[in-house]
Amino acid sequence: MNGRDDEFLKTLLTAFRGEAAEHLQDISAGLLELERSPAPEVVERVYREAHSLKGAARAVSQAGVESLCQALESIFAAWKRQEWQPSPASFDTLHRATDLIQHLVETPDGIEPDRVAQRVAEIETLRSASPPPGATEKTGGTGEPVLPAAPASDTIRVATRKLDGLILQAEEMLAVKLAATQRAGDLRELQSQFAEQLRAAAPDPHHLRVLEAKLKKLSRSAEHDSHTIGRMVDDLLDGSKKLLMLPCATFLNGLPKLVRDLCRDQSKEADLVVRGGEVEIDKRILEEMKDPLIHLVRNCIDHGVETPEERTRQGKPARATITASVTQVDGNKVEIIVSDDGAGIAAGNIKAAAIKHGLVSAAEARQLDEPAALSLMFLSGVSTAPIITEISGRGLGLAIVREKSEKLGGRVSVQTQPGHGTTFRILLPLTLATFRGTLVQTAGQTFVLPAANVERTGRVRGADIKTVESNETIALDGRAVALVRLANALELPATPAPEDEPVWLTFVVVTAGEKRIALGVEAVLGVQEVLVKPLSRPLVRVRNIAGATVLGSGTAVLILNVADLLQSAANVRPVAKSAPALAVERKALLVVEDSITSRMLLKNILESAGYRVRTAVDGLDALSLLKTEPFDGVVSDVEMPRLNGFGLTDRIRADRKLAELPVVLVTALGSQEDRERGVDVGANAYIVKSSFDQSNLLEALRRLV
Amino acid sequence: MTEEEKRILKARALALAREPVVQVTEALIDVVEFSLATERYGFETHYVQEVVPFKELTPVPCTPPFFTGIVNVRGRMIALMDLKTYFDLPANGLHDLHKVIILHSAEMDLGILADDVGGVRRVPVSQLQASLPTLSRIGQEYLRGVTGDRLVVLDAARILGDPKIIVQEEVAT
Repeated sequence: MNGRDDEFLKTLLTAFRGEAAEHLQDISAGLLELERSPAPEVVERVYREAHSLKGAARAVSQAGVESLCQALESIFAAWKRQEWQPSPASFDTLHRATDLIQHLVETPDGIEPDRVAQRVAEIETLRSASPPPGATEKTGGTGEPVLPAAPASDTIRVATRKLDGLILQAEEMLAVKLAATQRAGDLRELQSQFAEQLRAAAPDPHHLRVLEAKLKKLSRSAEHDSHTIGRMVDDLLDGSKKLLMLPCATFLNGLPKLVRDLCRDQSKEADLVVRGGEVEIDKRILEEMKDPLIHLVRNCIDHGVETPEERTRQGKPARATITASVTQVDGNKVEIIVSDDGAGIAAGNIKAAAIKHGLVSAAEARQLDEPAALSLMFLSGVSTAPIITEISGRGLGLAIVREKSEKLGGRVSVQTQPGHGTTFRILLPLTLATFRGTLVQTAGQTFVLPAANVERTGRVRGADIKTVESNETIALDGRAVALVRLANALELPATPAPEDEPVWLTFVVVTAGEKRIALGVEAVLGVQEVLVKPLSRPLVRVRNIAGATVLGSGTAVLILNVADLLQSAANVRPVAKSAPALAVERKALLVVEDSITSRMLLKNILESAGYRVRTAVDGLDALSLLKTEPFDGVVSDVEMPRLNGFGLTDRIRADRKLAELPVVLVTALGSQEDRERGVDVGANAYIVKSSFDQSNLLEALRRLV
Repeated sequence: MTEEEKRILKARALALAREPVVQVTEALIDVVEFSLATERYGFETHYVQEVVPFKELTPVPCTPPFFTGIVNVRGRMIALMDLKTYFDLPANGLHDLHKVIILHSAEMDLGILADDVGGVRRVPVSQLQASLPTLSRIGQEYLRGVTGDRLVVLDAARILGDPKIIVQEEVAT
């Protein structure tokens, strides 16, 4: 074993000690409770705790702890089935066993194996000493036991990057403190000045006006403060929540060792493929899901993976592949998948096992279809394993998996194909999760593609885009890949129009499952960490959209759902090559408008009418654009910050190069004076918004441009 | 008992039996007033969480046209709705949408675009006219009432509870 493995083992052992302490605490508490009054749900609880602890011990090769837990588990199981009843003395034996486990956990090498064997033997004697009670009343045994929530561990590792950000935010609060002091001072001063005026025989109107001005200024500042503080507090809260987000690697990393050890013991061969270690999940969810994940992986090896001989005989590779992956889906959910390419599960066997354990009657079982039959395996007590191995086969693991997942608001599903393998999926809802996203631009809008779905980005010459059955394709490494414009898949109007398309087209190759496609975009802006914000009611689920995120600039951008996009891409009708003969020389217009909606509306109207449209947010913005690009006309609002429509027209007329440019003013100012002013500064048309009608504007433009 | 006494007692009984004239306190609702183009509308304050300036809009593709997009309100993504489109009101002219009224209910938060938001005013329920024969879609479904001075009070609860505004779609296969 090399140094890194050593280091790793040490980390695992530390984690194990923490976990074991929790399990032991629960077992001891449960035993004490049972001593006072036996209750089936408490028996179930200690049984599960012993089972979980056994698994954890196995993962770190603590054979002593493992065999003690195995012994405890057996006796708890018999108790559960009412085949064994404890005598008061037997509790002492059970407590002694847990004490020994405690010792073993704390000082793994300090105890001779003999003592373990002795305790195990004691427990086994207990069992044979007590005959099963005569009339056993059949209890459900499973019921709805509630596992106690594991106490969270005391410490947490936090990336310094996150802490730095948080400290910066906290430091910003100093500004708030200063501002508050300042405002309080201003108010005191104002109050004393006001009191002075009240005392005066005749208030001085001039002074009162000064006071009013001060009051106004103060109230503006207070308003500004309230905005700033609101934002800062929210950011700080957000940042603090992020402290609890941990990469999944912290719980996926223990699995390879578990697989290796289990395989060695069972003379099986399997490779574990782990994906998604970088996905960050809330620590509390990670902690709850640790046991279920171990159970699932163990299940794969115990029940799924066949022996190398058996696999070879079936024409499969001797080494099996087990996959454990974590992926972000739909923006606010995380999917944990554990799958193997082993023997699969026959629904018939599950039914038989369920009947045998009395969970369903034979008649009921016949009624069940395959999914319903498969779901039986999640009931406590159902196992198809012909023999109980030391690891699984007690039919408990899957019950825990389902219970934990559902407790977190998730769900478990299973797909199996006899002879080909089994896949367990756990879908968990998450309020917060971060991942890396690729920012792309299409139709003038920015979107985020989850980087996990992005295989590569590149650009291709327009001439190299070839159609196959009139669908566009590009060649990548000698293979044809379907090309779909992202704008088309999203049902957005494509900009720029095909005829102005640059010589090079930027594309992003995305994959989901087995599917792969190239998405044509305007630009790839970069890759960055994004925090997913789910869309909420009324936008429960939007086609192609997984969620949203806020960029550093405060702008919200949408995160795309790649699985949906691949489906949508298949639905995109082949783009008929626009016949160049029809493409009239398109006129370029500049729309100047400070209201975003009006701007979009105007742009839309004009583009539908066949103009090429650029936009500016005010007169100054417009002037700088006019200086750098040629335009055939300007459509401008009148009331704008910095430079209004009249001013803009004036400046255009004064510019030698632009003097002849047609200018249409679109405005809410409908008075005769305003019209005249518009004419005075040299506008070619003046359209009043309240009487605004598309056809007026379009007619005016047709005449002028 | 003399006739005189009988008469007096009868008169007293009648006086006591008369129903007292009670000053009925009038039911009032508080309404946030806003304008869309040239018309004035209102929502009950009960449903209005806040009013924020309309700054950065992120249009959401693949949603019905009455959803203008989403806005980031202190980290929350609020869906924005344009009532003009939703109510099929004739788009008579461009208007300057400068404010977002955020409606809130247990089910959802919804942003409503408004040109301008005025103050809160108190409207007696008795003054609300149930409907006008000429009102089309709002009249049937979303109207709380119209005041004498033509303030159209909308039923925010109806809008927030309207299944028609829920977007829940998979990609067609």
